Amino acid sequence: MKTINSICIIDDDPITVFGVKKILGKIVEWNEMSSYADGKSAIDGLTSVFINNGKTPDIIFLDINMPIMDGWQFLEEFIKLPITKKVQINVVTSSIDPVDQKKAEDFALMTHHIITFRNKPLRIEEMKEVTKAA
Amino acid sequence: MLSEFQVNVNDYLIKQLPTSTAFLNRKLEVLYASDKWYKEFNLSPKNVIGENISILFKAKNPEWEQTLKQCLDGKSGKNGIVSFFDKSNKEKWFEYNNASWYDDQENVIGVIVQTKDITEKIHAEQKLKKLELLLKEKSEIAKIGSWELRIADNKVTWCDITKKIHEVPKNYMPDVDTSINFYKNGFSRNTISMAVFHAINNGTPWNEKLQMITAKGKELWVIAAGKPVYEGEKLVSIIGTFQDITAQVESEMKAKENEHLLTTLVDNLPINIYFKDLESRKVFVNKSECEYLGMPQNKLLGKNDFQLYNKEIAQISRNEDLEVMHNLEPILGMETTNIKKNGEKTTFITSKIPLKGEDGNAYGLVGFSMDITPMKQKEEELRNLINVTSLQNKKLINFAHIVSHNLRSHSANFSMLLDFFVNEENEKEKQNIIGMLVDASDNLLETLDNLNDVVAINTNINLDKKSVNLSKKIDSVQKNLIAFLQGNDAIIENKVPNDINIKVVPAYIESILMNFITNSVKYKDPNRKPIVSLKAKKLENYTLLSISDNGLGIDLNKYGDKLFGMYKTFHNHSDAKGIGLYITKNQIEAMNGYVTTQSEVGKGTTFNIYFNENN
Repeated sequence: MKTINSICIIDDDPITVFGVKKILGKIVEWNEMSSYADGKSAIDGLTSVFINNGKTPDIIFLDINMPIMDGWQFLEEFIKLPITKKVQINVVTSSIDPVDQKKAEDFALMTHHIITFRNKPLRIEEMKEVTKAA
Repeated sequence: MLSEFQVNVNDYLIKQLPTSTAFLNRKLEVLYASDKWYKEFNLSPKNVIGENISILFKAKNPEWEQTLKQCLDGKSGKNGIVSFFDKSNKEKWFEYNNASWYDDQENVIGVIVQTKDITEKIHAEQKLKKLELLLKEKSEIAKIGSWELRIADNKVTWCDITKKIHEVPKNYMPDVDTSINFYKNGFSRNTISMAVFHAINNGTPWNEKLQMITAKGKELWVIAAGKPVYEGEKLVSIIGTFQDITAQVESEMKAKENEHLLTTLVDNLPINIYFKDLESRKVFVNKSECEYLGMPQNKLLGKNDFQLYNKEIAQISRNEDLEVMHNLEPILGMETTNIKKNGEKTTFITSKIPLKGEDGNAYGLVGFSMDITPMKQKEEELRNLINVTSLQNKKLINFAHIVSHNLRSHSANFSMLLDFFVNEENEKEKQNIIGMLVDASDNLLETLDNLNDVVAINTNINLDKKSVNLSKKIDSVQKNLIAFLQGNDAIIENKVPNDINIKVVPAYIESILMNFITNSVKYKDPNRKPIVSLKAKKLENYTLLSISDNGLGIDLNKYGDKLFGMYKTFHNHSDAKGIGLYITKNQIEAMNGYVTTQSEVGKGTTFNIYFNENN
C-alpha cells in the first residue's frame, strides 16, 4: 500500500472525520494524521508545526462551514504561509452551490497549491484519485 | 472856407449830437463825427478824421456809395440798411440816412451821414424766423397739430398737421360742429363737448386722451388739449393742440397685454418664483411663493430669508445668493431643503439666476423653486421598500442556503455511513456505524426543528402583539434561568425602569431575552465573573433595550456580518450551535424592530435591540 507522509482533516462534523479516515484506511497508509474541528485551530496548529519543524501536510481535507473560522478564511491565511511544497487541498463540502465551487476555483488561481472542489459524501474512487496524485 | 472859430464851434456841437452822425466833405472824407458815431463803430477820431468813409467797410457796398454820390448832387433822403464787419470781425447791421450838407449859399459842401445800429434787431428777426421754422418742423415730426376757435365769429382754423391727422385736404374748412363730430360717438364725443363748454363758460383748459375717426374712417387715439385765451376780461379764442398717439396707445396696450400674460403665467406656475435685491430681500414673489410662506404678497415683500426660515437654513440660502450675485453664475437645479419658522421642512429643486445691470454687476437675482417634497417622500418610501425587499431576499437566499447545506450534509452522512455499513464485515464496527447513524438522525431532527422555528417566525405575518412590562419580563426570564445562571456564577443587573412597557409577541420577547442572556453568559471571560446588564429607554417610535456583558467580546470587523447568520459560531465552545442569535434576529425583525452590536475583544459585547412601537 502506498504511504503518504502527512494527512490533515479539518471538519467540525465528527462523522465526516470518521468517514474520511475509514476510507483512507482502506487504500493508503500514513505516517501522520491530524484533524481539527474548525479553521482557527487548524491554521494555528499547522502554522506552529510549519514554523517549528518546517513540516506541512501533503493532503488537506477542508470543510467550508465551520465555526469560528470557516474554510475560506482558513484558505486565505494558509496560502499566505511561505510553503514551497505543493499541498493538495480538497475543499470538501455538502454545498452544491455553484458560488462555492467558483470560490474554490478563484483560490486555486491565487496559489501554487492544488485546490480541488469536492462534494460530500466522498467516495472511495475519488479518494483513490486524491491519494494517487499525492 | 470856414473860419477857425466856426470849425471849433461846429466840432464841439457835432461831438455832442445824440444821434450817430458823421460829416463828410465832397471827397467823402470824414470832417466831423459825433461821439456816439465813434462809439458805435468802435473808432477813434485820430484814425478817422480826414480818411475816406469807405475805410469803414471791408467790402464795397455799391448801393451805399451810390446814395452818398447822389447826396453830393443835392439829392438827399435816401435810406437803407447796410452790413459791415467791425474790428473784431463781427457782422454789424446799421440803418443809414444820408443827407446833403449845404453851406449858407446853398452849395453842397459834403454829406451828413446818420446811422442807427440795428444789429440786435436783425438778430432778433432771424431768431424769430428760425423759431417759426423749428416749430413747424417739430409739430410735423411729433404729429402735433394746432387749432384755434375764434369766439367773435365762431371761426375754426386748423393747421396743416391737424388737417393731416383728420385726413382732410389742405383746403378743408372746419367749423365747431364738424370738429366735434370727428370724435368717436359716445365717451370721446361727450367728453370733448363738455370740455369745450366748460372752457367757454368757466375758462377751464382741458387735456384728454380720446378716440376719433378720420375722414377716411380710420380710428385713432389722440390727445386733445385746449385753452381759452382772454384779452382783458374778454374771451377771444380757444387755442389748442391735437396729437396722434395711436402708435403709443397701441404699444402701451400691447405691453399691458404682455405684462398681464406674463403675470398670469408667473402666478399660476406651480413653482415658487421670487426676485431678490442685493440684500437678499424679496422684491417680487408669485402666488406659489405666497402660498408656500402663508403670507400675502405685500407682507412678504422686503423680507429676507432670516425673517422667514430658521437661522441655519437662511444662512445657507444667503451664501448661495451672494455666490450667484458675486460670480454672476447661476445655480441650476440644485436640491435644497427649507425649514420654515414653524419647523415645516420642504425639499426643493432650486435655481438662482443673477440679474445683471448695465454696469455688468448684479443688482439682484431671480429664483425658481419647485417643491419636490412629495416626490422625495415617495422616493424615501420606495427606498425603504427596496431595503426591506433586498433584506428579505438576502434572508431568503441565506435560508435556502442553510436548508440545502444542512439537509444535504445530513444526507451525505447517511449515504456515507450506509455505504460503510453495507460493506462492513466486522460486527463491532457495524455497531459503531449504527451508533453514528442514530446520531446523524438526531442531528437531522434537531436541524429540522430549528428550521421549522425560523419558518414559523417568518411566516407569521399577523403577529398578535401585546403590551408587556419589560422589567417584569426580565425578572421572570431570570427565574427560569436560575440554575444555569447560578451554575455560571452569573449576575443579572436589571436596570430597566418599571414603567417601560413594550408591544411585542410575548413568546418572542421571552426567547429574545433568554437567547441574549445565555449567549452573554456562555461567552464569559473565564477570568471574570459574568455580569449581564440590561437597560432601556424610550426613543421616537422605538424602545431601546441594551444588553451589555463583560464577556469575551467579538471582533466585529472579522465576524460582524456573520454574527447573526445561521450555524455560525465564533467561539470554540461545545454549546455554540449558532442557531440562537439567528432565531432571535428573525424574531426581532418579525416585530419590525432591529438589532445592532457593539463589541470589543476582551472587554465585552453590547446588543442594542430596537422594539418598534408603532407596528
